[in-house]
Parts: sequence; structure tokens; C-alpha cells
Amino acid sequence: MRNNMLKYWELIKHLTLREIKGRYKQSFLGFFWIILNPFFQMVIMSFVFSTIMKQQGLGIPYPIFLYAGLLPWLFFSNSLGSAMNSLTSNSSLVKKIYFPREILVLATLVAKVFDFILAFIIFAILMLVFKINLSWYMLLYIPIFFLQFFFTYGLSLLLSALNLFYRDVQYLFDLVLTLWFYLTPVIYATEFFPEKYRFIFKLNPMSVFINAYRQVLFKGDFPKWESLVVGLLISLGLYLVSHRLFKKMEGTFADVV
Amino acid sequence: MAEIIFNNVNKYFFLQHQKTLKELVQAIFKKQKTLERVHALKNLNFFIKKGEVVGIVGKNGAGKSTLLKLIAGVSAPTSGSLEIKEMVSPLIELGAGFHPELTGRENIFLNGVILGLKEDYIKKKFNEIVAFSEIARFIDTPIKYYSSGMYMRLAFSVAIFTDPKILLVDEILAVGDTAFQAKCLTKMNEFKDKGVTIIFVSHALETVRAFCTRVLYLKKGELMYDGEVNKGIDQYINEK
Repeated sequence: MRNNMLKYWELIKHLTLREIKGRYKQSFLGFFWIILNPFFQMVIMSFVFSTIMKQQGLGIPYPIFLYAGLLPWLFFSNSLGSAMNSLTSNSSLVKKIYFPREILVLATLVAKVFDFILAFIIFAILMLVFKINLSWYMLLYIPIFFLQFFFTYGLSLLLSALNLFYRDVQYLFDLVLTLWFYLTPVIYATEFFPEKYRFIFKLNPMSVFINAYRQVLFKGDFPKWESLVVGLLISLGLYLVSHRLFKKMEGTFADVV
Repeated sequence: MAEIIFNNVNKYFFLQHQKTLKELVQAIFKKQKTLERVHALKNLNFFIKKGEVVGIVGKNGAGKSTLLKLIAGVSAPTSGSLEIKEMVSPLIELGAGFHPELTGRENIFLNGVILGLKEDYIKKKFNEIVAFSEIARFIDTPIKYYSSGMYMRLAFSVAIFTDPKILLVDEILAVGDTAFQAKCLTKMNEFKDKGVTIIFVSHALETVRAFCTRVLYLKKGELMYDGEVNKGIDQYINEK
């Protein structure tokens, strides 16, 4: 499969560019929305949660803490949202021209990585403003992000294929995402939860990733390897199952799209 | 040497009458059809040799498009086997992947790689492609401002630079003005002379008569006739 994807590298590149350029050309403010949207979400949420819920003992200012969880979360939910429609919105391609269909899903996600990087710039500036100590451990952010990307990709393959057969999958999954958001330590820290419920976070890859990000950014420390391994195993298992199903259904995509 | 071999190929697909769960639930309560199994291609056996120009005729719903989908590799046969020995260039979707917000230039590259071209090759051929399309003045304009004629010209120009071994053509000659249509036909004849295998789907029977060397006539998924062009078309007209 690796070999295959390498062969299609130029196609992935151009489909990704189409996604990015097409979106930015449509709106007047273009790139700014991508930066401003998560920023304002962070501002609103930090206002709400720091005054109402009184988050304490984080060791760092709440807006920074929140932003560190919100950005990867938004990447995750936005990616799934677009990836689920990546096959249906490219129906003319799916019906007429053969190339491995996962390329459509992949290109959508790579375009979202671009958004993520843009939004990250503001985050980086905020970290400097709030005088977060810089450390080499921060570089571990990148491999953790790759792992999160891999997890998102696996889930996207599954959902995009299912959504082709029943369009409700996306609405159903929107609900799931809402619940998932509250079960992931984006607006709070896992320590605020009673010990006996914390297993939820261990089995939730998004929680694993977000905790790991915060660990390497703010604590100046290695992430918890054993949780990352759980995250990796879940991602890998999900990918293997999704990819197989996706490939199995691929031959019928053109008939149902 | 046969390039395309159909061996007892059957294609079924399920016609999904409901696309959402709501509709599905309603349909179950009302005891309506939910999934309908359609036998789109029935036991097809034939092979196509290199350099043949095959016209496929038949009414709407006879399975012509499904047949092209199988040859293009986007859809898999339900049973039987299918062998394609060369790379297939689909001319069945002109402007595949075109994005309205992108310029003509950007779309040439996008469409080119979707059709399987290498970026370097597109760069090298870029001027020729633009020249053929006759829209050099607007090449940096987003194609949403193009007229439909300009759009098709651009799309066709990219498609013919794909250097195909097997070419699938679906009703594309029905677009553009007469002058451009003539240009397209000239190009198709060039391909024909070069020995490219062409599979041609059209309702324009006179074009099929003039252009093809063999005809397949499909009726409700069955191959009714396979052979000489005039005979096949006459049979189709008589049964219509």
C-alpha cells in the first residue's frame, strides 16, 4: 500500500491544493477565518469556564490550557466532518475514474492539517505572551500529532464509506462527537474527575493525545508512554479494520454514490 | 491480442430507494420496496482486440454506462472475470475534478494528475494544451467565469494529451460548437490511426456508423449483437 500511495503522491498533492485553494478563494477574509474561528472559540470558552467553573491548580493560565486541547480537538472534529463527505462530494470522480478511493479521504485530511498549522501560529504566539517555558520536549508534539492524524484517518475511512450508503451517518456522528467532546479533557483536566471514572480517558485516544500534548508543552516532560501505547494500539486496530472494510466496499462505491 | 476480456461477467447492484434512515423506516412501515436488486449486465462474454473501435449502442438503462464503469475499473463485477491489459483513459468525464474557483491553469494540472498524468509531463505540454483549447487569454481566470463551451474545450484539451492505450468515450462529442466538434473528431481519428483501442458510447448513430469498426448492442443488460457496424445499428433501430 505504501508503494501505491507513493505512486499517487502527485494526485494527493493536487487534490489537497484544490481543497485548500478552493476554500480560501471563496471568502473575502480567506485565511483569517481559519485562525480567527478557533481563537474566538477559545476566548468565549475561557471566559465562560474560568469564571463559572473556576478551574484551579492547572499551573498555567486557563486560556492556554484550553487552547492546547481545543486546537487538536477542532482538527479532529473538522476533519471527520469533511472526510465523511469526501466521497459523496466527489461523486463524479468516484463514478468515472479509478484511483484508490482513500486518496480522496486523505487529501481532505491533509488540507485540514494545513488549517491546523495556521491556527497553531496564534497558539504559539499566545504561549510566548503567557511566558510558557520553552523546552526540547515540545518537539514531541509532532510525533504525537502524527499519531492523532493516523487515528483520525482510520476513523474517517470507516465513516466516509458508511456515509455513502446511508447519509444519516453524518448526523448520527455529529451527536456522538458532542458527547465525545465532553468525555475528552478539552475544557477541563482529567484530575478533576474522580479516580474511578478515569478509565474513560485511558480508553479514549483523543484524551490520550490531548493529555500528551499538554504534558510535553507545559510540564517539560515525556508523555505517559503507557497511555500513548494504548492510543497507538487503538489507532492501529481501527485503521486495520477500517481499511479492510473500505477496500472491500470500494468496488461498489461507484454504484451507490 | 485481446486487450479487454469479459468472461461470464454479471453485474448486480442494489438500487437503494432510501438514502436516509428516516425514509427507510417509513418505507418499512408502509411495506414499500427498500432495496431492489438490479441485474445490470447479464452474462457478458466478449473480447476486444488492440486497435478496435467499438461502438456501444442501446437504450437508456441498457447497461452501457455500467459496462464503461467496469472497463474503467471504478466498479467491480459481481461474478465472472474481467481482464484489462492496458491503462485505460476515461474520456467519459470531461473536466473530472475541475474546481470552479480555481483558474484554468490550476485546473489543467489538477485534471491532468487525476487522469494519471505526471506533473512534469503536464508542464512540458502545457502550452500545447492551452493552444488546443483556444482559451489562452483566460487561462488565469477562475473557470466559474467560463462559458460552458470554454469549459468543455479546456477539459477536452487536457483529456486528449493523456496518450491513452484504451480510450473510453461517452457522449462527449455532443458538446461545444460545430468547429470544435470537428476538431475533436479529427483528434479521435488520429487516435484511431495510431492504433488506440476506443470504446465509444453514443446515441448519435451516424457518428457510430462513420467512426466505429465494430458494434455491441445491449438490451436490458444482455448482449444482443456483436459484430459488423451497420448490421448492429440496423438491428437496434428495428427493435427500438
